[in-house]
Amino acid sequence: MTGLFHRLDPAQTRRDIDEELRFHIDLLTDEHLRRNMSFEEASEAAFTRFGNIEQIRDQCAQIKRQQHPVIRALKLFLVLVFLSGVVIRIFAPEYHVTRVGDILMAVGFLGRLWLYVRGLVPSSFISKPEESSPLRLRDDVQSLVRGL
Amino acid sequence: MANTRTDLMQGTLELLILKTLSRGSMHGYGIAQRIHEAVDDVLRVEDGSLYPALYRMEERGWVSSEWGVSENNRRAKFYKLTRAGRKQLEGEQANWQRISQAVTRILQTT
Repeated sequence: MTGLFHRLDPAQTRRDIDEELRFHIDLLTDEHLRRNMSFEEASEAAFTRFGNIEQIRDQCAQIKRQQHPVIRALKLFLVLVFLSGVVIRIFAPEYHVTRVGDILMAVGFLGRLWLYVRGLVPSSFISKPEESSPLRLRDDVQSLVRGL
Repeated sequence: MANTRTDLMQGTLELLILKTLSRGSMHGYGIAQRIHEAVDDVLRVEDGSLYPALYRMEERGWVSSEWGVSENNRRAKFYKLTRAGRKQLEGEQANWQRISQAVTRILQTT
């Protein structure tokens, strides 16, 4: 139960992400300090190797938000609402009942659309995170490849 | 015009992470270290890019995570492969082998 409340708290999620990234940066800094760098140099080298920390933090937070139990439940609920509408629409014997089906289908569809537009549904269609190339060839290897 | 950024196939980083985690549970820094040791002579991996990939893989159920204590007595998040992740790794590995064999064949014949 505590775990669920923990996951429902966005501030706590943010703190967890910060702590995880900070842990990584600290170990990278230690690694560079062992190579006899000054603290400033080691810290700078650590941040360089880590990449854009703000962007990474935001991406992680966005992914976590998509994983949020309430959002997942809401997505499932909207799908069920839409499907109920379809079933009612198909099998309803009377005209005014089919209107209820139409309304349910509209609520389900528009709800999903709203989540989609708000960026709560994973989408590379509307907004692609700027990390299309997390891996790339080293610069010297790239020059070699281009020279072939 | 050719893309000079030399983007690699999508999913390559995920494959590397899955393979690294097949050795056992690890925190993000540990995963990054293993990947650097293995491919640093050819690939440049920004350490931070592991985290969005790890979070996405957790969302897909390929890895699970839990907070624990690291070797330097600090709180750290450890990731491990799930059964689905192991299955994914097998599939991705087989796929990678197929593609690389096909490309090698083409390069040898042309």
